[in-house]
This record gives sequence, C-alpha cells and structure tokens, in this order.
Amino acid sequence: MGYSGARGGLEAILAAEDLVRRARDHAPAPWASTEQITARFRLAVDRVMGEGGLYHEPTAAAALRQAEGDPLEASHLVRAHRSTLPRLAVSEPVDPDEMTVLRRIVPAFREPDGPQLLGRTTDYTGRLLEQPDGPPEPGTVQDRPARERSEEHRRPRRFLDLLRKLDLVADQRRGDDPEPVDITRKPARPPAPRSAVLASMARAETGGLVSLWYRSILGPDGDVHEVTLGEVRHGRVPLRVRHPHTGNPVTLGEFRVTEAEAIENLDGADEDRTRLDVGYGLCFGHNERKAIAMSNLDIANRRFGRKGPLEQLLLLTVDGLDSAGFLEHLKLPHYVTFRSIVERKQAMRVAAEAGEGPAERPADPAGKEC
Amino acid sequence: MTDVLSREQRCALLAEAERDELVALADECLADGAAVRVLTGPEVGAVAAQVREPVLAERFLLGDVLACRAEVELAGQRGWSMRLGDDRAATLAAAVLDAEAEAARPRSARVEELCHAVARRRVEREAAEWAELAPTIVEFEELT
Repeated sequence: MGYSGARGGLEAILAAEDLVRRARDHAPAPWASTEQITARFRLAVDRVMGEGGLYHEPTAAAALRQAEGDPLEASHLVRAHRSTLPRLAVSEPVDPDEMTVLRRIVPAFREPDGPQLLGRTTDYTGRLLEQPDGPPEPGTVQDRPARERSEEHRRPRRFLDLLRKLDLVADQRRGDDPEPVDITRKPARPPAPRSAVLASMARAETGGLVSLWYRSILGPDGDVHEVTLGEVRHGRVPLRVRHPHTGNPVTLGEFRVTEAEAIENLDGADEDRTRLDVGYGLCFGHNERKAIAMSNLDIANRRFGRKGPLEQLLLLTVDGLDSAGFLEHLKLPHYVTFRSIVERKQAMRVAAEAGEGPAERPADPAGKEC
Repeated sequence: MTDVLSREQRCALLAEAERDELVALADECLADGAAVRVLTGPEVGAVAAQVREPVLAERFLLGDVLACRAEVELAGQRGWSMRLGDDRAATLAAAVLDAEAEAARPRSARVEELCHAVARRRVEREAAEWAELAPTIVEFEELT
C-alpha cells in the first residue's frame, strides 16, 4: 500500500482481507447462490445493475455477495469488471414504445389509453414486518383463466401521446439527431448536452439522485415545481444490433427497464404558459425511485440547469463511485497531510508569540487538501 | 411469424434458445466431420444500449448489456451469433447452427425446427406471464 507518504502494512492488509473472506464465505449458514440472490433480492440486483452500468443479473448478484450486501460496493465491483470488457457493439436506438409492460400506472389520469396495471408491487400494502420461523409452506398456484393479451395490454399508448393529442404539451422534439455523449469514455463536465445528463442520472447512485430531487423541491434552489407524474412503467425492451452480414437489425433479447414521465407546468416569462412540458426518466431494472427522480430532474435541468447549480450537481455529484470513493479515501493514512496542518499551526503560533501577525492569504475551498 | 425464417429471425431465436439444445444440435451438425473454423471468439463483452427517448426524440446511452458473440465458417459459409449473457458454449453452438442453415447442410431443417420451438415457448411463457399480471389491472374510483 502506498498513499500520501505512507507505505507498507502488506501483512496486516492481507490478514484483514482474509478475515473478510473467511467470515463471508465460510459463515455458518447455507451458501447464498447466485440464483438465490437474483430470485429473492431482485430489487437490490436491479439497483446494482443500474448503478454499475452493466445489465447482467448474475454478475450483479455475484457482486452483491462479494460486497456482503453493500449495493454501492457491489456497483463498484461491477464497474471495475465492466471496464475489462470489450465493447462488442452499440445497439440500434431502443424505442421505449416497444416496451412489453409488466407494470404501468398513470397517476395523473384515471382512464388512460390501455390498462392501469399494478403488476408486482407492495405500493398499496401495509408495512408490517414478517418474521417467519422458516421458509413458507409451498404456496398453492391459483389456476388463472387464460386471458388474451391485446396489443393495448402489451404496449399501451404512452400518456405523453395523449397529452400531445390534446395539444397540451409544448413540442420540444428536435429536428437534428446529435450523437449521444459516452460518459464511460470521457467524463462529462458542464456545460454538457442533455444526453450526458440523462446518462449520468441513469447510472447515478439511487439515494443520491433522490436526495437531489428532494432538495430541488424543498431546498433553496426550488428547481422542481410541479410534481405530478404522468406515467411509470416497468417492462422489457428489445436490444438490437446490426447483423454483420446482412446489415439488418437483429434482436439479441430483451432487458428490463423502469420508465417515468413527469409533468411540469410551464410558467416562465419565456415559456409557453398555455402548455405543459414533460421530463423523462429511464434506468436499468426495476427502480421506480430512480426513474421518477430522473424524470423530474430532467425537466428541471432543461429549464434551470444552467441558471443555477443543477446541471453541475447532476453531472458531478450523483455518481456513487465518485462520491463514495472520495469519502472512503479519507480512511487511508493522511499522516503527512495532517502533520503539515499541525506544523503550520505551530509556526503561526510561534509567529504570533513573536509579535508577527499571520500573512494575509485567501481561504482555500473546503476539501482542497484532501 | 412466417414458416421460412429470415436470417435475422433465426439469429434472434437462436439467441433465445437453451444452451443444452444448442450444444446438442451443434454436436450433431459437426458429427459428419465437416471442417469448421472459428473466426471470432466466443468473446464476452458489452453492447452499449442506446435509447431514443420520446420527449425530445434525443438519443442517450443508458448503459451496457453483457453479451457474447462468435463467428464460425462451416462448409464455406459463415455463421454468426450474439447472445445476451456470458455463455460462450451456447454462443459458439448458435454460430455453428447459423452456418449449418446458411450452408443448407443436412441438419438445416432441424435448426429451423429448433427456432420454431423457441418461438412457441416464447408465446407460452408470455401467456403464463399475462395470466399472472392481468388480475392486477385496476380501476380506481374517483372521489368527487
């Protein structure tokens, strides 16, 4: 280990690592298989896929097991693994309208096109802790009558389209088609195209994004005004690449995403006050908190991102690896840094006792010396 | 789906097939001693998932999806496969089956049969899924 003027400690580090491995891998409890983790801790797995930026359930499950259940550490492991992989292709643009919905609610409107489909959720269930003594008895599978799944059931028309039909949405669709920013190759810095902000939010740390969303409602910036949700969906979308021989799109399979549309009331002097605007959120797996926060913050960023700190906050502060990495590094030896601080204080004291005032100097930004 | 599959339809269905059925049929295809040459992989990597969002119709990169690809040459025809996940054996086998079909070799009809079986399973799986989901359709009452 070498950092901040300290080195050595290899034997102790290896012993500490061994302590983790033995306690984790040889705990007096049945092994937590990858299948156990993906089946029983689905939402944790989905969160790690999103924050790690790599969609593959078994990989996220293995990372969660290795990280002893810490989602952020697991995301770190996934990102590190992802960085070793070659990029095989960039997909054809996924069209979210092709989503096969597994859950779809429209909080803003009672009778949208297509069903209000609750799907797999505990949103309406009382939070009562269950503490069973052991695994539950095998459940009886209810014999459900087959029902036809219409196209409206499978791919209901999005609420945004209904608002457009009613001419209630300011049409912001672009005529050009700029290349999306790849934040995995080059970190985005403000000012940045919207594609960089959306990508940053899609792999943001969920708690960090929700916290920024809440700050934007109740905090000093007030960038989110209307908090009406148009639509929230969880479902499968197809992933396609160009076939190398025919040049036509070929479907590789499907992956699950959560999508949200947030409605915002346009009330600015330079805005069309007769219409609404819509923010968009989409992330890997089933993570409604992240998608909803993303959709509100998308529209807030489009309206106020560069008038205040929001764009900078979204690009620079919501990544879990960035923020937690900086925080965690503080645990590494900072002996030289601190000794330097102490020596400066002692020198100032000597100077003060000798009747020499401290030299005038501007204050450094907090954290500069870390 | 039409009875005669396009190459893209075949690749998509082979990408969804089970590992064991792919490997077993690929072994049968190669049992006649046909010369096969592995041109690529099987290689595990990432496909960057690009999305066109519906509000401004802008593209952005959502993240990467793990995938595996392989390419082979069998009887002078190239077979290609890319599947989600990291199963190298299944991906290589799918590439062999793609080449078998492209070369119209003896087991190309079996490859087609396998693809149709995969398509039928997808329909059954989706029907079972909808039977579970449909009872959760809700119509909340509005209090006025």
